[in-house]
Amino acid sequence: MTRQDDPRTPTVDGVLQQSIHDIDIPPRPTVIDRIHAEMNSDAPNLRGIAGLISRDVSLAAGLIKTANSPCFGFGRRARSVHEALTMLGLDVSCRAIAAISLRRAFPDSARYERFWHVSASVATLSGWLAQQLRVPGVRADDAYTFGLFRDCGIVILLRRFPDYQTVLARANSDREAPFTAIEQAALPTDHTVIGSLLAQNWWLPGEICMAIRHHHSLPALEAEVSPLRCPGRHLVAIAQTAEYLVQALTGGSRSEEWTKLGPACRALLKLDDGTLEAYRCAAAPLLQAVE
Amino acid sequence: MRMAGGVKLFGVGFPILMPAPSHPPTRVRGGRPCVSFRDTLTMPDKHAVIDPITGFLDRRSCLHAAHRMLAAAESKALPLAALWIDLDRFRQINASFGHAAGDEVIARVAGRMRMVLPAGGHVLARMGSDEFVVMLSGEDRPVAEAFGRLLLVTIEQSLCVDELLIHPSASIGVAMLQPGDDGLSLLERADRAMGEAKRQGGGRLAMAAGEVLPGHHGTSLAREELAMEADLHAALDSGGLLLEYQPILSRDGRIEAVEALMRCTVFGRRLMPDRFISVAEKTGLIIRLGEWSLLQGARFAARLRDEGLPTKVAINVSRAQLTSPAFLPALHGALLCANISPELLELELTESLAMALDDVVQDNLRRARETGVGLAIDDFGTGFSSLSSLKDLPATKLKLDKSFIQVLPADQRALAVVKAATQMGRELGMVVVAEGVETEGQWKALEQAGVDALQGFAIARPMPEDALLTWLKLRKNT
Repeated sequence: MTRQDDPRTPTVDGVLQQSIHDIDIPPRPTVIDRIHAEMNSDAPNLRGIAGLISRDVSLAAGLIKTANSPCFGFGRRARSVHEALTMLGLDVSCRAIAAISLRRAFPDSARYERFWHVSASVATLSGWLAQQLRVPGVRADDAYTFGLFRDCGIVILLRRFPDYQTVLARANSDREAPFTAIEQAALPTDHTVIGSLLAQNWWLPGEICMAIRHHHSLPALEAEVSPLRCPGRHLVAIAQTAEYLVQALTGGSRSEEWTKLGPACRALLKLDDGTLEAYRCAAAPLLQAVE
Repeated sequence: MRMAGGVKLFGVGFPILMPAPSHPPTRVRGGRPCVSFRDTLTMPDKHAVIDPITGFLDRRSCLHAAHRMLAAAESKALPLAALWIDLDRFRQINASFGHAAGDEVIARVAGRMRMVLPAGGHVLARMGSDEFVVMLSGEDRPVAEAFGRLLLVTIEQSLCVDELLIHPSASIGVAMLQPGDDGLSLLERADRAMGEAKRQGGGRLAMAAGEVLPGHHGTSLAREELAMEADLHAALDSGGLLLEYQPILSRDGRIEAVEALMRCTVFGRRLMPDRFISVAEKTGLIIRLGEWSLLQGARFAARLRDEGLPTKVAINVSRAQLTSPAFLPALHGALLCANISPELLELELTESLAMALDDVVQDNLRRARETGVGLAIDDFGTGFSSLSSLKDLPATKLKLDKSFIQVLPADQRALAVVKAATQMGRELGMVVVAEGVETEGQWKALEQAGVDALQGFAIARPMPEDALLTWLKLRKNT
């Protein structure tokens, strides 16, 4: 049965009419615009940017924490925002700020506490896995950022459509149909489209935006037909593996994505049973540290 | 970045540097000195010149070395491989970390390359600011390819320079000596293969095809487009895109709509819209640019509505977007994310696109129109109009091309065409807009012709969001 034939399928107009809540996609943090303006200038003014970030205590603390994280393995510790900016570089700093800002960009974040915790867990394990796997061209901080942003479209759709929770449950439990196909049967769009639009709007790198768009697609993991280039494919596979580990270790947030995408992820990352099990054991303490 | 004592020889986007030539350049193109590969090969080879940062041969010395290695390989019937290596996003490294850090990166990458180079009579050279060549003598294709992959992995290891962590990557092209090659054509094929690797996104290796080179002009054009593509990637990743908006004034004094026009600035350089749009269309980047515009334009429509100035925002769409299955989800995504009524958005498609509708495009346009989004046919009158296509297209607006408008009021034939097109548009239920209105004379002639709305410098130039908002508020208050 096609969408048009199904009387239960809401019409496009009908769905759009549901959009009565005055909710917008979270605007890009102004500090990101300022950093990009500096990046595009001939002589970036790091002190000016550091001053701007320092006015926001939690952002400043988050950036220093990022620079000192084991992801980067710097020999020394950043003690100020300026030092963090210098150590990370402007482009990585920008992504770190986007990651720090994402959750608080949603005014009702507390309502989705569990969702954000799972996203943070997947992001943390993605960054860690990228370090362990050492795939050429895949950076741990990119894997972290991707892990955090890849499902943010879900929150936007949950806030917009009361029935989206049901669609989500159906998509999570389907062992065959692609996740986004189930969403698109009920809505005129899906969370990967929304997530990649937000990522583009926040000036995340193209590889990450494209990976968000295709992260539920099996063909995207297959080199011959994938619309993603090498780092993008690996970002998708790493985050999917991270999600599998989170689910295996916590028993929560069940989905059938590993059933559908797991074999392709394992083939791409060359993960045999033993290696996967070793990662599962090693990941447990990392999850406990996720805030 | 600039080599010590070097001069920049190619135009913008061609960061190819050479030591200052010891004699005048052999050609002048467009008033600027321009030295080609072939020119440098004919220069006297008194001494091999070593690049001070890397310790490699410089570009000119490399070309002579290539010439000699090729002669030796041919006389002994040995294979010869050329690998052209270009660091990805090196300009961003320079821009973000400064030129001293950039030089340090070059020196460290060169050191790594030297470490992994097998023993033998091989050559390492620095061809430009971030371009290197390796010539492998006596090695066959599998060895050259494997060495290229080793270089990729070696270069991609993070570098810590002055406490800055830098993540380099490279694009590599590999060419094997073929019958009929000279040193130059071998290097050119490796360079073209590198371009292909870069075009596929960088961080990868491509083998040269055995194609015949189109000549220097073709190569230069391809390189210019490549540089433009790299600029577009940089703009998309670093906030270099901006929409400006030009108002469209209705006969009754209302603002009928504002058209969004994309601007692109990279490292302080503003790219010409005609050029970057054309490169974006060729490379498929137009889909990302188009989606970015959709959301940005939709959000501005929301802002105008929230400011009490509800106005339609018109966004240009390309054929690539309209043939993509992702078009409708992205359109709906933009409407949802901006939380606007679809009536506040209008899609503009060029006449040539409108007249070459295939089923997918037509279906996408029909379904877009069903949501309530407006459809405008842009540049009407410039293509070979098919009236039956015009009849089938669910368009809501017809925009007459500026070539008809700019000859008004003197050109009576143009005026007759404008009147006829306006009549036809009206009969088809479309709002008819004249583009490129620049003088009061044109304005009056168009009003007499019955055109519904006007767009052009006579009304207002394109403006950034805030300026347009101020302009609209001032109009409202006067």
